[in-house]
Amino acid sequence: MSLLDELSARQIASGVQAGEFSAEEVCRASLDAIASRDAELHACLQVLEELALAKARELDRDRAAGRALPPLAGVPLAVKDNMNLIGSRTTCGSRMLEDYESPYTATCVQRMLDAGCLPIAKTNMDEFAFGSSTETSHFGKTANPWDAERVPGGSSGGSAAAVAAGEVTLALGSDTGGSIRQPAAFCGVVGLKPTYGAVSRYGVVAFGSSLDQVGPFGRRVEDVALAMNALLGEGHDPMDATSQDCPVDFLEHLEDPVEGLRVGIIADFIDAEGLSGEVRSAVLGAAEALADQGAELVDVSLPNVADSISAYYVIGPCEAFSNLARFDGVRYGYQEPGCATLAEQSAKSRAHGFGAEAKRRQMLGAYLLSSGVYERYYHKAQKARTLITKSYERAFEEVDVLLLPSSPRTAFKFGEISDPTQMYLSDMFTISSNIAGNGSVSVPLGLGEDSGLPVAVQLQGPAFKDRRLLTFARAVERGFEAEGRVAPAFAGKGGEL
Amino acid sequence: MKSLEEVLRDWEAVIGLEVHTELTTLTTKMFCGCELSHADEPNAHVCPVCLGLPGALPVPNREAIRSIVKAGLATGCEIEKRSMFYRKHYFYPDMAKNFQTTQGPVAFCMHGRLDLGVRGQGASELPDGAAAERAGDGSVPVTRGEDGYEVPIRILRIHMEEDAAKMNHLGGAEGRITEAAESLIDYNRCGTPLIELVTEPDLRTPEEARLFMEKLRRIFLTIGISDCSLESGSMRCDGNVSLRRKGETELGTKTELKNINSFKSLHDGLEYEIRRQAEVLEEGGTVRQETRHFEPGRKRTVVMRVKETADDYRLFPDPDLAPFDLSDGFIESCRAELPELPDAKRDRYMAAWGLRAEDAETLAGEPALAAFFEAAVAAGEPAHAQATANLVLNGVMGFWNAEGAGPAESPVSPEQVASLAALVAADAVTSAQAREVLPICAETGDDPAKIVDERGMRQVTDDDALLPVVEAVLARCPDQVRQYREGNVKVIGFLVGQCMRESKGKGNPKRFNELLRERLS
Amino acid sequence: MALSQEDVRAIADYARIGLDEEELRAMTVYMNEAVAMLQPIIDLEVEEVEPTFHPIGSLVNVMRADEPREGLRLDDALENAHATEGRSFRVPSILGGGGLS
Repeated sequence: MSLLDELSARQIASGVQAGEFSAEEVCRASLDAIASRDAELHACLQVLEELALAKARELDRDRAAGRALPPLAGVPLAVKDNMNLIGSRTTCGSRMLEDYESPYTATCVQRMLDAGCLPIAKTNMDEFAFGSSTETSHFGKTANPWDAERVPGGSSGGSAAAVAAGEVTLALGSDTGGSIRQPAAFCGVVGLKPTYGAVSRYGVVAFGSSLDQVGPFGRRVEDVALAMNALLGEGHDPMDATSQDCPVDFLEHLEDPVEGLRVGIIADFIDAEGLSGEVRSAVLGAAEALADQGAELVDVSLPNVADSISAYYVIGPCEAFSNLARFDGVRYGYQEPGCATLAEQSAKSRAHGFGAEAKRRQMLGAYLLSSGVYERYYHKAQKARTLITKSYERAFEEVDVLLLPSSPRTAFKFGEISDPTQMYLSDMFTISSNIAGNGSVSVPLGLGEDSGLPVAVQLQGPAFKDRRLLTFARAVERGFEAEGRVAPAFAGKGGEL
Repeated sequence: MKSLEEVLRDWEAVIGLEVHTELTTLTTKMFCGCELSHADEPNAHVCPVCLGLPGALPVPNREAIRSIVKAGLATGCEIEKRSMFYRKHYFYPDMAKNFQTTQGPVAFCMHGRLDLGVRGQGASELPDGAAAERAGDGSVPVTRGEDGYEVPIRILRIHMEEDAAKMNHLGGAEGRITEAAESLIDYNRCGTPLIELVTEPDLRTPEEARLFMEKLRRIFLTIGISDCSLESGSMRCDGNVSLRRKGETELGTKTELKNINSFKSLHDGLEYEIRRQAEVLEEGGTVRQETRHFEPGRKRTVVMRVKETADDYRLFPDPDLAPFDLSDGFIESCRAELPELPDAKRDRYMAAWGLRAEDAETLAGEPALAAFFEAAVAAGEPAHAQATANLVLNGVMGFWNAEGAGPAESPVSPEQVASLAALVAADAVTSAQAREVLPICAETGDDPAKIVDERGMRQVTDDDALLPVVEAVLARCPDQVRQYREGNVKVIGFLVGQCMRESKGKGNPKRFNELLRERLS
Repeated sequence: MALSQEDVRAIADYARIGLDEEELRAMTVYMNEAVAMLQPIIDLEVEEVEPTFHPIGSLVNVMRADEPREGLRLDDALENAHATEGRSFRVPSILGGGGLS
């Protein structure tokens, strides 16, 4: 007898393949863990018992028939609720899509299923991914597994929390300005935002089309690497005109030494205003751990990257306004009853279907795109993007990876940050790699010396070098022995195999 | 209201066209794999992409890009290698995403031109004193000739976009949107590849606008990118028109004319609009910037929508679509697929076979018609090309219309037409007789020569046979002979008629005419 | 250049987001704060810089073959709509016209 939350993805898949336990047993253990844990956590918006059991039984039948099982056979997966999956609702954490059932499945979800994952649950999120705390969800808050009074981060807070609390082994999130890495940091799990274009966005409800990227959460770097193999295995997606081929075997170089490789430290970030002391010392600790393994620490600068936040709050709202224009209550989504005209119906459906932050971002975007304003903001922000991208390219001529904080601080309390523009600063270290598009990963470093909450470090790599990014992430993980850790309040509650 | 002629004596009409053409010859939509359809039941061809479902993403149809490049090459445009798709936002449910994917300042095709030859009656719409140059920089010169004039019309751009869904407005009179209680939406057409051509405001008369559209349609048909049906809406035209006093250079306020579903509507709608604006201006009023709807039945335009402020569509580059950087190889491979264009074909017909310009233009305009004509010429003598052209234009096309057929599925073969044209050229049958022979050709499949002989239709051109008839008629009609000699030459017609009667219709009227004149002189 | 409440109302009308007076006041405060936060973009000197609209490196000319792909069944297409009639989506009266002009 073992506990599901103690197993890695590889152990589960090989256990199922070897017949140590069936996929259905794994599935039931995951469902049981959710039953015992999620009332307190509220990471899941829907538990997909039927879909998951059907998938598990299919795997068990395949095994019985002597067929080789795929590499993630039986691994429990949670999916952020902005990703389409036939047979489930895609709510985006919004009243607008409360009852919406997609007639098609997102490519990223399909590839995880094809790799053998069990679709256990859809997870909570900030409404349409607008937020850094998961508090803007129409369906209530999700607790941070390490401290129930604190936020799990966001917008992929449900996915991070579900993994951190051991409800599932892997989860998918989406990251537009830090929405994978910041909740991963708050919840003490690994969260990877791959290079823009590596993972298909087809079927993922868009927020900022030039910023959005799908990526995995796991409690181990190796689990995340396996998820990447599944997400990228078939190469670029013909349904997404911005998707590109990426190297596939993320396990191949995972354990490579980092000896002789160069790690960039950015003094401006280490000394940034608003960076908490314990996060600062954790980042320095991670640098030391890499140096101990033979990596060379190099001081680098990233000029222009400071403009990322303002560029982001131009590009993001503009693209969000455009992407969310389609939600007018005609073809799908909340429709205000009893309206005499179409204009009234659209305005009221959108007024009452969207929450406050979704309306704010769309309003801002509609203003910034208006004629005469567009040139001064959106167009210029895209020029800033050119400078930021070049800044990264120059840095990566000198170093193989950049080491920086994931978030300026550890998880904050519910309601602690109520001013939306203050909340926007939560993303100060993550946004730039959405602007430039390069890959980045948040790696947990254990608990902070002051808060006792998870602290993390972020690694950023050159575009389409996500595999090597994970080699560094693994080296950090080795140095801190934080891998596989489940938040203690939830560890072992239900989910026996 | 004053007549068009009166108005254009004092005013100059400045006309620009926006022509939307659906790429109907493709298999699938612009950004998704749904099949193109016009006639199917509502919402039979929809998918997450064209329904704008959450999470769906567009991927451009390569053949659509090839089609627009061909359209640009065929209309003298520069092909812009680097361009992007943009999003144009407006909240209206005929576009499922509430934005249309279109192009921005740089279109695939920029700065082209079409040369118009305006001849005959239509040329008279342009008054004698009209400006000899229209752009102010020498780029639009008017060249007058014997029977009309030539003028190049500049094309500003041709861009690629997607068509909207069809809305069916219920509960109001005549399906008018403002009175409808509700509307139904069918997304079959939503996402159909559409190219929009915008001219410079170089056109000056309704006739020029009509000719431009006809010429554009002939080109697009020839290069095979669309069925170009104004009636079904696969080719649609909006006309922008404003007036200014002759000699003015400032543009007046324009109105936009919509609902044009025939070449005649385009002409008549513009004509009405020019006359209406002149009346407004001459009464001291001002023209409002508005969209007007042409009502062909009542030959008038009515206000559809007043534009108080310029629409702000929040245009920005579509982040979901990679930019374009077309290679020379791509563009050249499109050029290599271009067939001979109508102007080149027309020139060839004139140079090689001596065809009249107008006939050559008409025949060269429709690819299937041109192919049929060329097959007929090939089956006969090159010397009979004009006779063949006459027969096709004045006989065969009428026969096709009556039969509901066309050149592609013609009930008469090019060989039969060639043979018949030879008979006409040799004066063996009249044009009128030739028209009578066509249905028999179709029915029997026989050679026209055989038909003509079997039915005794062959005309007698032999003077030995005709002269006795002429003598007999002259002897029988002394009054008319006297009248002719006194100077009433018209009476010859009566005498030819008598000869025809005498010969039971078999004598050649042309020869009778000649022989009569000889005898009477 | 601060946005007035009337400016914000016009944007809301365009964006089809109904706001009552209280929401309009709050939105106006937010819009002005957010725009102020974007000042660094206004201050940037980037005359000579080309914009990057797509963070996809040198990826260009992404196109697909003109081949049909199975679409949605009618039930699936209409499933999430609140108002349909027969095979069509249904919307209430469209006063004032609209659409592309």
